Amino acid sequence: MNRQPEPGAAAHWAGGTRVFYAVPLLALAIPLFANPYTQFVVNLMLVYVLVAVGFNLVLGNLGQLAFANTALFGIGAYTAAMLMVHAGWPFWAAIIPAGIAGAAAGFLASVTALRGIRNYYLAIVTLAFGELLRWTYIHGEVATGGTDGLAVPRADFLGIVLDSETARFYVFLLIVVVMVKAISNLLQSKVGRAIVAIRDNELATASLAIPTGRYIVLAFMLSGFVVGVAGSLFAVLLGQVVPESFGLIELILHFAMVLVGGLGSLFGSVLGAVALTALPEFFRGFPGLYEMFFGGLLIVFLLIQPRGLSALCAKAWPGLRDRYFRDR
Amino acid sequence: MAMLLELAGVSVRFAGLQALIDVDLTASGGEIKAVIGPNGAGKTTLFNAISGYVPLAGGEIALNGSAIHGLAPNEIAARGVRRTFQNGGLFPELTALENVLAGLHARIDASFVGILFGTRAARAAEREAVTRARQLLDLLGVSHLADQQVKSMSGGQQRTIEIVRAVAGEPPLLLLDEPAVGLAPPVRAQLIELIRRLAGEMGIAVLLIEHAIDLVMAAADVVAVFNGGAKIAEGPPGAIRNDPAVLEAYLGHV
Repeated sequence: MNRQPEPGAAAHWAGGTRVFYAVPLLALAIPLFANPYTQFVVNLMLVYVLVAVGFNLVLGNLGQLAFANTALFGIGAYTAAMLMVHAGWPFWAAIIPAGIAGAAAGFLASVTALRGIRNYYLAIVTLAFGELLRWTYIHGEVATGGTDGLAVPRADFLGIVLDSETARFYVFLLIVVVMVKAISNLLQSKVGRAIVAIRDNELATASLAIPTGRYIVLAFMLSGFVVGVAGSLFAVLLGQVVPESFGLIELILHFAMVLVGGLGSLFGSVLGAVALTALPEFFRGFPGLYEMFFGGLLIVFLLIQPRGLSALCAKAWPGLRDRYFRDR
Repeated sequence: MAMLLELAGVSVRFAGLQALIDVDLTASGGEIKAVIGPNGAGKTTLFNAISGYVPLAGGEIALNGSAIHGLAPNEIAARGVRRTFQNGGLFPELTALENVLAGLHARIDASFVGILFGTRAARAAEREAVTRARQLLDLLGVSHLADQQVKSMSGGQQRTIEIVRAVAGEPPLLLLDEPAVGLAPPVRAQLIELIRRLAGEMGIAVLLIEHAIDLVMAAADVVAVFNGGAKIAEGPPGAIRNDPAVLEAYLGHV
C-alpha cells in the first residue's frame, strides 16, 4: 500500500493502511470478552468476509453476472472435508487444495464467459452449475456422505488443535488478514485496473495491449480460490458439511453481502459480510421475523444507498475509499 | 521513407457484404494520413481490420515488415498499434489518470507474485507509471483533469484523454477514429494542433478518419478516399479536392 504517498493516486487508502491493520489488531481482543457463542458468530463473519471478497472480484470488479459462488464455497468445503475424512489429512494441509479446487471451478465458469456466454446466460449457467454440484453431493454418497454429509474430524493448524472457538478465531483471523491484504494489493495494482477496465469497456481494454482473456480467467480463478478457502474454514467451523448449506438461499445471502457492502469495493465486502452475519443474531428470539426484516431492510437499504455501506463510509472518511470504487 | 504499415489487397466481408475490397494502404512515421469517404465507405472497418477486431477475407497487413493479420487485438496493440474508438473507448468509472495508467499496462514491470505480496519493486513500478502518466497528461495540456472521473468530462476532454491514453504506450502507429466529432470549433483547432504534434514531435504515424473536410485539409499530409469499401483516390489534400472520382463519390454525378 502507499506508504510513501504516490505522486498520483490521490488519497485512496492513504489512511486505509492504518485502518487495515488496526481492525484485526483490535479484533485480537475479542476472545477476552466474547462467550463461545458470540465467538462462533465472529468466526462465521471471518468465513463470510472471504466469501464476499471472493464473490465481489467477479461480480463487482470484473462485472460478470456469475452466480457460482455457493458452488465454489461448497467445493472448498467438500474438498477439505473429504481430504480430512477419507485421506486423513490435517486441516492445514487441506486449506490450499480447497482453494485450488475452488479455482478450478472458477476456471470452468470463466471458460463459459470467454466463449461469449455473458449476462443473464452466464447467470443461468452458473446457477445450474451450483445446483448440479448439490445434486452430486446428495448422490455421491460414497465420497460425500449423501444428505447426511460428512462429519469433519478435529482440526489442527500446524500443531495448534482447533478444539475451541477461540483457537479457530486466531487461525481464521490470520488466514483472512493475509488473503484480504493480498487481494487488496492486487486490486490496487495494474491487475486490478485491468479487471475493472474489462468491466467498463472490454474492446477498448484489448486495444491497450492488455490480454483480456487472461485477466477474465485470472479473476474467476482468484475468486474461486478465495471462496474455496472460505469453504474449508466453514467446514471446520461447523464440524460438518451437508449439501443444504450450499443452496439458493445461501447464494442470495452471498449476493446480498456484496451488494449491501458495495459492488466493486473490497472494504465494502468486508463490511457487508460482517453486517449480514451479525444481523440474524438480533432476531434469534423472534423466529420468522428475521426473513421479513432481512428482505425489507435489503430493499430499503439498496433504494437509499445503492452503492452500499462502503460508499456511506467513504463519504464520512475519504481515506477509506477503495481505488476504482466511486461513491457516486 | 520506410513504410511502417503496409496493407496489400485487404478484403473484409460481413455475411455477403463486401466491407473492404482489395485495399492497398501504407503509413509511415511522422506522417498524418486522413482516411475520408461517405458513410459506409469502410473507414472504421479498415481500422478494425488493422487493429485485429475483424478477420480478413483476403490480403495481408504488415507492421515493420512482419505480418500482423490474424493476431488478437491485444497482440497487435502490443506490437505498437494503438487506436481510439468512434463511440468513445474510455473507462467511464475510472479517472483520467487511471485511464492513462491502463494505457501503460504493458510497461509496468511488476510480477504477479510481487504484486500479491506488495513488494517494494512492485510498488516502485506502479509509482513510476503514475509519474509517467502525469507527465503525459501534462504534456498534452490536460493535467488538471487527472483525478476526475472521465464520465463527468465534456466530449472534447474525453477525446483528448483517449488520445493521451492511446499514445501512452508510445506506439509507432496511431489510428484516430473521428476524433473531432461533436467538438466546438476552438477545441477542434486544439485537436489539430495536438495531432500535428504527435506526428511532428513524437514521429508517430497517424491514420485519421474524419468527416470534417476543413480539419482534414488542415491536419493531413496525405488523404486517402474510400467509397463502397474500395480506395478510390490517394494524394495530397490539394489534389484530392479536385479529383473527379472523389467529387463523384461525395456529390454523385454532376
